[in-house]
Order: sequence, then C-alpha cells, then structure tokens
Amino acid sequence: MACLEGAEEAYEERQHRAAYIFDPSGDVGGTTRPAKRRRVSKRPNASETQGTKKASSFQYHLQGAESEQAMRLRQETFEKLWSVIDSRIHSILRQTNQSTLQEVTSFLQSAPNHTPEGKIPSAFIITGPNIASQDLLFEQLSGTLQHEAGAQVVRLRSGDASNLRAVLRKIIHVIISKDAADGDESDLTTSKDGRKFLNYDLEALHAHLKLLPRRNLVIIAFQDSEAFDSGVLSNLISLLSSWLGRIPFAFLFGVATSVELFEARLLKSTCQSLYGDQFDVEQTASIIDKIFKTAITHSEAPISFGPSLIGSLLERQREQVASIPDFINSLKYAYMCHFYANPLSFLAPDGRNSGALQSEHIEILRCLPSFRRAVETAVKNNDTIQAKQLFEDDSQLVRYLVTCLQKRRQWIIKLLRILRVFTISKTVTADFADLYMDASYHGLGLSRQYDQFFDSIKRMEPCDSEGYLSRVLDTMQEGDQTLGLDPWANESPETVALLSDILAGIKQLRSNAKDQGHILRSKYSGQSKILRTTVVAQKVQLSHDTAALTDHDKAYTSLIHRFLEHMETSMRVERAYSIPFNEVWLYDSKLPYKDVFIPRPRNVLERALSRPYDYLGCSCCRTSEGQITPTLPTTAILYRLYLETGSLINAADIWSAYYAVVGGDNEDGLDERTALILFYRSMAEMKAMGFVKQSRKKADHMAKLAWKGL
Amino acid sequence: MVRAKRQRQDIAETTLRSSSRKRAREEANEREESPPSKRRSSQPGANTLLTNSRSEYDFPSDDDTQAKATGQATPRRRGRPSVTSTPNAHGVGATPRGHKSKRLDAVTPSRTRGVANGETPRRLRNDRSARKKSARALIEKVVAGVSSDEEADEDIAREIYESSEDDDVGEDAANDHHSDENTELRPGEPATPSRKSRTKAKKGTRTRKKSPTPPRDLPPHELYFAQNRPGAAKTSNNTLASLKLLTHEEYFSLLRDYEDPHKSDIEFLDSIHVQSFPQWTFELSQGFSVCLYGYGSKRTLLHKFAKHVYDAISDHDSHRIVVVNGYVRANMSSLRDILSVIAGAIDPKHKLAAGGPPVMMDNLKSLLSAHDITITVVLNSIDAAPLRRPGFQPILAQLAAHPQIQFICSADTPDFTLLWDSSLRSSFSFVFHDCTTFSPFTTELEVVDDVHELLGRKARRVGGKEGVAYVLRSLTENARNLYRLLVGEVLVAMDDEADSSGENPGVEYRMIYNKAVEEFICSSEMAFRTLLKEWDFPSLKMLLFG
Repeated sequence: MACLEGAEEAYEERQHRAAYIFDPSGDVGGTTRPAKRRRVSKRPNASETQGTKKASSFQYHLQGAESEQAMRLRQETFEKLWSVIDSRIHSILRQTNQSTLQEVTSFLQSAPNHTPEGKIPSAFIITGPNIASQDLLFEQLSGTLQHEAGAQVVRLRSGDASNLRAVLRKIIHVIISKDAADGDESDLTTSKDGRKFLNYDLEALHAHLKLLPRRNLVIIAFQDSEAFDSGVLSNLISLLSSWLGRIPFAFLFGVATSVELFEARLLKSTCQSLYGDQFDVEQTASIIDKIFKTAITHSEAPISFGPSLIGSLLERQREQVASIPDFINSLKYAYMCHFYANPLSFLAPDGRNSGALQSEHIEILRCLPSFRRAVETAVKNNDTIQAKQLFEDDSQLVRYLVTCLQKRRQWIIKLLRILRVFTISKTVTADFADLYMDASYHGLGLSRQYDQFFDSIKRMEPCDSEGYLSRVLDTMQEGDQTLGLDPWANESPETVALLSDILAGIKQLRSNAKDQGHILRSKYSGQSKILRTTVVAQKVQLSHDTAALTDHDKAYTSLIHRFLEHMETSMRVERAYSIPFNEVWLYDSKLPYKDVFIPRPRNVLERALSRPYDYLGCSCCRTSEGQITPTLPTTAILYRLYLETGSLINAADIWSAYYAVVGGDNEDGLDERTALILFYRSMAEMKAMGFVKQSRKKADHMAKLAWKGL
Repeated sequence: MVRAKRQRQDIAETTLRSSSRKRAREEANEREESPPSKRRSSQPGANTLLTNSRSEYDFPSDDDTQAKATGQATPRRRGRPSVTSTPNAHGVGATPRGHKSKRLDAVTPSRTRGVANGETPRRLRNDRSARKKSARALIEKVVAGVSSDEEADEDIAREIYESSEDDDVGEDAANDHHSDENTELRPGEPATPSRKSRTKAKKGTRTRKKSPTPPRDLPPHELYFAQNRPGAAKTSNNTLASLKLLTHEEYFSLLRDYEDPHKSDIEFLDSIHVQSFPQWTFELSQGFSVCLYGYGSKRTLLHKFAKHVYDAISDHDSHRIVVVNGYVRANMSSLRDILSVIAGAIDPKHKLAAGGPPVMMDNLKSLLSAHDITITVVLNSIDAAPLRRPGFQPILAQLAAHPQIQFICSADTPDFTLLWDSSLRSSFSFVFHDCTTFSPFTTELEVVDDVHELLGRKARRVGGKEGVAYVLRSLTENARNLYRLLVGEVLVAMDDEADSSGENPGVEYRMIYNKAVEEFICSSEMAFRTLLKEWDFPSLKMLLFG
C-alpha cells in the first residue's frame, strides 16, 4: 500500500509539470498496475506478450480463439493491400499537379527576361477553397523550382507573418540556414568587416547570395495569401521590390478566391510592382473522382465498399468541403476497420491465405448469410448433394470459398466493363460514382437509369448509333487504365464480331439511303410519327400517322434490335450482396466512419450531463423525464438548473437551489460544506467547459454562455 | 391614484400595440410546433412547478411575483381585441376591470398563465404593475382604515411588494412602515385577480414539491429567445454574503473525505474505455492522431494508456512516451518546455536551438529524422486555456503530422473543434473517440480560484502560481538560483525545527552566503546582499533571521 502511495505521489507531482518523459519503471506502483490491466485484456498473458513482441496492435477475435497466425495474416494483408492503394493514390496526386508545376516553372524561369523593369514576377495559383491540399502542391512546387530553376524557395504561411520583422527574419533564416552547414550560420550573418547583421536585415541575405556562384532567383511562396494581414503583405512587397535591384525576387501566391479579390486587398502602389500570371490547379472534385476510381472501383481494389459508406464519404466531400487528405484518411480508416474487426478479412482478396483457417472460422463461414443464401439456391436447384457436402466437408467448403472469392474479380471486371460501356452513352447523366453504387447494390437491370439507357439506344439516330457503336468497340479494344481495365476485345470475339457486323450494316444502310436521298430512321426515332394537319371546312383536324418505313428503315430497325438484344443479355451482373462470401471483401458500415471523423462533442457533452445514466449505467439516477434527483452527479444537477436560467445567473440562487436538492433535508443529504465543495468543483468545471463566465452586471452573478441543443 | 392607474393603462396599451403583431406571429409558430391544447395544458403545469419549487428552495426571486403578475397580465391580454379596436381607451381606464375579471373567470387560470408566460417582454412591467397595485392596496388600506376579513390578500400584496422591493428602493420606501402597522385590507380590491392565481400557486406547492422542471417542450431556439428576451435580466438580489466561501485548505481537506457515490460506475465506464486501448494503438501506428472528447477528466485514462503503450514497447530506446499537460497554467515558455522535453526524449544530450517555437520545431524535426525513434506524445487537454493562444496549435499540428510522432490528446470543452481550420485539422489527421469518463477534474482546474474569479471575488491566492512564475521570470539567473537555495534551506530548517520545537525556524545568514558563493551565485557579500534584497519579503526575513 505504501509503495502504491509513493507511486501516486510521484504521479501527482508530475501532473503539474508541463511536460515530462513517461517512464513508469521509476514508479514503485508499476508492479501493481499491469495486473489490473490484464484483467480487461481478453487474452491470457503469455500470448499477449508474444503478440506484442512485433508491436502488433491487432486484437484476437473469436473470443480470443483466433490463432496468432490468422491475426498476423490480417495485419499483414491490411498493410500490404493498403500500401498498394496508398502509393497509387499518391502517384495520382503527384500527377494532377504536374501540369501546373510545369507552367509555373517555365513562367518563373523565363520571368527575368520578360518582366518589365522594377516589377516582381509573380505567379498566382488559384487553388480553390481546399487549403488543406495546398501543402502538397507547394511542397512539389518548391521541390521542382529548386531542382529545375535552381531557385531559393521560401514557403510562408500566414502564421509566420505576424509582423514585417518576423517575415523578414523567416525569409532570411530559411535561405541562409539551407545553405549553411549546421552551426556556422552565425558566420553567414556577419559581413566582411566583421559587423553583425540584424536578423531581419536583407543586407545579410544580399551578402549571402553574393557568395553563391550563380545569380539565383529567390522565390517567396505565400501559401495562404488571403490569410495574411494585408498591411504586412503590402509593406513586405514594397520593401522587397525596393531590393529588387540587388536580390532577384519572385513571388508565388496561393489564392483561394480570385486574383481580383486578392488585388483589392493590396495597396494600388503595391499591385503595380507586381507582374504576374494566373495558373489554375485541378479542382478538388475531379481529383476526388480520380481517387475514387483508383482506390475504390479499381479492378484490383482488394476490398469493395458498399453504397452507404461510399455515399456518406462523397456526401461529406461535397457538402462540407472536406479536403483530399480527409478523403484519403477516411478510405484508410475504412480499410483499417475492415481488417481490424473482421476475422475473415485475411482471406481477401482471393482466398490465398485459406490455409490459416481454423475450425472457428469455418463455423463462421457457415453462418454467413450470403453462404446460407447460396446453399438455399443450391437446394432449390436440386443440388442437395453439393449443399450437404458444403456443410459436412470442411475441405469442400474451403474449395468453394476460394472459387467464390476468385469469382469476385470476374464480377468486378464485368461490372466495370458494363459501367464503362454505359458511361460512353451521352444520355446517362448520373456520374460514375452514383452508377457504381447503384450497380453494386442493386445489380444491373433494375434501376431507372438502365431503362433510360436502353430507351435512348432505341431512339438513336443512325449517325449517333454508329458513333456509339464505334466508341464501344474502341473502349473494348483500349480498356480503361484509370479503372484498371485491360482491353477485353480478345476475350469476347463474338461480341466484337456482332458489334462490328451491326456497325458495318448501319454504315452500309446509311450510304445506301443517302444515295437514294432518303433519311434513314428506325421505328423508334422521333420522326416516325407524323402529325398531319388537314383543313376541312375551316376546321383544323389533327391526325397522327405512322410514316411509312422504307426497307432501309426496317433493316436499320432490326439492326438496332439485335444490338439491344445483345446489350440486354450481356449487361447483367449480380448485386454484390448476393455473391457468396461477400462478407470477406465487402465493407459497408458508415458508423465508425461517422463517429470517428465527424464528432459531435457538444451533443455528447450535453447528453452526458442531461442523462448521465446513459453512460454510468446506474439505477439510482434513472428517473422519469426531467426529475432532478440528489444522486445525480453534481455537474449534472447544476447543468439542469443552469438550463432553466436566463442569460444572467445568480450564484447565490443557484447555490441555494442546488443545496435544496442535495442538502440535509433529504435522507442522507450532504452537509452544507460538503455540498459547497461539490458545488465549487462543478462550477469550476462549468466555467472550464465554457458554460458560464464572470459577469459584472451584478454582484455574485454569472453570464450564461451556452444553450442546449443550439 | 387615478392618474397612476391611467398611466398604468397607458403602458399596458403601448406594450399591447407594439407587441400584438409579434405575439400573433409567435402564437402561429407555437401552433405549428405542437398542438396548442397539449402545449397549453402541459406548460402551465411545468411553470407552476418551476415557480413554486423555487420559492420552496429559498429562491425568493420575483418568481412569486411572476405567478401573480402573469395572472394579472392575462386579463389584459384577453381583453385585447376590445382595447385594440378602441385605440383611445385611456378614458376607460377605470372601467375595464370588471370586464376583465369576468373574462378571467371564464378561463382557467392555469391556461392563461401559460400563454402569458410564453410572452415575455412584458413580464417585467407586469411585475411593476403588480407591485404598484399591491403598494396601493397597502396604502389605501392605511388611509381608509377599513377592516377586512381577508387577511390573506394583504399578505399577498405585501409579498409582492417586498419581493420586488430591492428593485427600486427609493420609490416606496415611505410606504413601508404603513403596511406594517395594518393588517386589514379592503374587500374587492384590485388584488382580486392575483388571489386566484395565488391559490393555484399554493396548491402547486403542496402537491408537487421536488420537481423544478423547466418548460420541457420548448425547442432549443425558442428556449434561447425565451431566456434572452430584451430588457433587464431579472434575477434576485441575493448574494453569497451570508455564505462563508471556501478556502483552499477547507476545500482540499473536505474533498479528501468525500466519496463519490458513483465511484463504481465511473470505474466501470473507465474499464470500457480501457478495452479500446489496442484500437487506439493501432490507429496511432497508422499515422492517425487520436483525440478523446466527452465529459470528465481523461487524464487518468490517458495515464493508463501511456502505461499500456509503455508495457507494449519492447525497446524503450527506440520508442519513448512524452506526457504533456496542456492545462498547466504557465506562460508561452511552456511550448518551449514541451518541445525541449521531446528533444530530450530523443537525445538527452541535445539542446534545442534557442529561438521561437517555429525555429525549435524545425530543429526538432531534423533531430527526429536523424534518429530512428518513435515518440508517443500524450497530451492532456489540448483545448486548455494555455494552449489556446495563437501559435500553439500550428506547432502542435506540425508535431502531430510528423511520421515519427504518435499523437494522442484529450479535449474537455464542447467546442474544441473550433481550434483548428481545415488545414490544421488535416495535418493533425484526427480520429475522435467519445470518452466520457465522469471523473472529476482534479488537477486540471484550480477549483477555488476559478470559482472565486467567476464570482468576481478576489481571485488568486497571494500571487498564485502565475504570479510566482511572473516574478521569477523577471529576475536574473542568479537571483533565481539564490531563491531556490533559500527556499531549500528554509524548508530543511522548518523540517528540523518541527521535529524539535515549535518555535519559528531560522536559517543562518552566513551559511546561506557561503553556499551561494559555492554555487557561484554571487562573488562578494555586497552582491549577495543586493541579490537578497530582491527577496525582501517581511515573512521571508522573519524566517531568515529568526
């Protein structure tokens, strides 16, 4: 006990330090604590220490019965698969900025030649509202500029620019320390005659640059130029422009709004010393779309996400202007959740690891709803023997599992091909993501989009259908790299033959019709019905008439029919949920994502205070709605009272109200002083949480600052 | 008398006219939100509860008055159509009373009160008029000298009068003694409407004692406007003068003996959070930062987590844990402390370059990249006041974004997310977890000081921690060292003395001087004396020289 107290004391003492290195080995209580911890961990201690040897943070599933191999496999699979996706995403991000990079670099390289005298070449980069992804852009920019243009780049953020002196100091420091080896920075800030420069004196920079062999451009990048104080910015620009003769400056401005707005914030004279061009950056939406294609729908994506998760991801992206890093993080988190929480996840993507299956796994596999459905259909098809085998023979089940998992890839490819063919059509208005969600959730063939699509094909004019067919054939021959689709023309020669046959037929018909001065059309095209107006006895009569179809038209119609027939038979794909064992590779739970990335701290706090029993799970506080019982935590009682008050709170009154609740009148009530310490403590908490503050309006009064539910 | 009445009528009418449209709108709103019948029947109940329990709980604000005032206010409201239709109704001032009371009878008082209660800006005026009325009742009774069988009425009148007495002291001070002399009241006085509401109120008191419920069915925004209505806030004039405020000693000694009835529940809650430690570790290892939020102190939880991480580390040289207490009320230098402690964790011999935190941060980054080490930073209360200053969060974000740093923190306030803009937020790359613990903030808050500051009392204990820090910072290195020496010696002396006798302990001047010279704090006695002058506190001197 004594040693425990000693440990406590040491701990207490450190609580008041701003920071310290955590080292419980010095604690005497170190021996007593882990025992407590062991009780809550699920696994016996021996294997835990074994598990932690390689710093594994995965937990054992199946009530601790999961073998270590399976657990490790889960972790390894996760790491392997995610790193692939991650690198793919990063290459996309790098590529997207490439064109901007080149433009800016070439502008700045040629700047000194075409910039008028006395003006600073400046590149305005319109980044859009997404300031979070600017970092990458500017990092790339400074990298390229240093590399290719041999320039010195200083990246400034608004946080660095509290005043002019600080900015100058930063600029000088960054450039000088970049070239200086450690330690001799001081040498560089002393001039030849031994005088020491002030650290914000541009003379130092000048002296430093003179030492360098080449005349280097000094590029100053204002990352979030809107956030800079406009006064500081104007001063800085005019100061730097006065040094332009000695130090060749150039500017980069990251502009989130527009150059006009930015210009309006500067002084006119300052603006005049800038000479610049405007560069656009690829906007967030298109980047997100690319990432979506590579990371989620890509044919090699190891796990798929269900529509509800994708939907909420994209919705957040659209509605809350969440940044690209956020999007990537959310994806990563979804992967993490899948592999952390799903004991079967190590089988993804193709059941390669099925050797590690344990009997517990097998049991789970047999309980999966998708598996049950598959068995039920097998029974319905009078395939009882196979169904029975699946239940009785483990090895049979594993074989079946592996085939099913391998089928997944085919399913994805089929789905993507169909979607691709789909999106070629101009009539499909929904974007790819929506189509994907729809298709993976419903399977193809049900939704309204598809009816619309087929309808549009039916009604196509010959020239359109010709164009569409040739585009489809092109796509089949080329594939789609962003989706990881290889050309699939060779795989289905009969489709290609059929389509080119139809295409040739249409072409033939068109030229024939043209020779005869006749416009080719099908039964379904718009002009097939002709509205006739006849004037009979000064009355207009309207009558519909089916225009007579020529033989060409009939031939064309039948070609379209063939095409449609083929499309309708080939464009069918199962929904993801009906594929057996989809639980292994399908993740569709948006709850952890929402909890973790979109916290609602206020609601949580309000709930904790107004319904503490939700958290504490105690019976004493659970009363009918709105009753204040003395057993509630003190702050909860005060919070209830607080909710009833107006904007000004009398401390004396709230104290007496509080004391009346908990005080001596009740059975086992508190005595006044104890009640008072609790009151104090809770008041301090309320203050710390920002519910009340001091008010000078009246003595002993507080101002109310927060209203529940707002 | 009459003039007073007329004036009152005027006021009533102007308020009526000005607010009638608004009220109509309000009513429409109310109707939309909930079926009116239900609303009206439920609200007054709640209201009576509120007022009565308050008065019960020694809360003698104007709530009692309100009950009656609203009772009085209602007839006017009821009579609105007639009044508004005849805008020059000043002359009728005296007559409408009978009219009013009739109307009142037709309506259940609870109902009307409910309506009036929703309609707030007039309340204060109503109070006044109720007060005036009661004052008048008292005066009249004195003047007329007519005895009455209704003592109760006089009680109410006086109650109303006295309860709002503090509000305007001078006005009716002269009348005060009159009312004391007499105990009768004329029958059929203007106070009649209030009689009705009062009896209701009394009933309420008897039946429902312990449920001071606010009107439950108000949506949050309505509640906001109800509680923020224009006009002076009406709170009672009670002060805590009669209450002996707590001192630090009393607070801590009492707190030590207090046992929380929810202790086991809190521990249970804690054990649930402990179960997700591996998950947090995993998230940290994947480059996310973890932020714990929710009510209650998360310091002990994080301490346990630090232990958990520590136990899981196989090689303590390549993975260290730094605990940062954000709540420590220090100055800007605390950021410097944090960074230098982290630097110390990487390489104990390394001294971070002097300069602003950004410079130190750069230095720290290069130091990190030079070592193959992982640092887990456990930060208590990222939203504590000291860390809210500009410049702190960007540095923390840079820290958290570093791949070799794992960053876990806790946040206590409900609005902590406002600390970060989107770029900071994405460099933190937080995952948030609800960790409501319900454990008290023991170290994070300086309870007594905070509350006294809240009450506008003399806030800090002498100097306080911040004061001491301020003084020490303003001194030279040598003076600070001398102080350390001095305090150490005095403490030793006090310990020794406490063992032997109860007299004031003393420290020998010569000894201190010698020690100071030994430690190169000063070179001559002259310098020593000068330095000592900095510590020229009477109390200290007494200690020093016996």
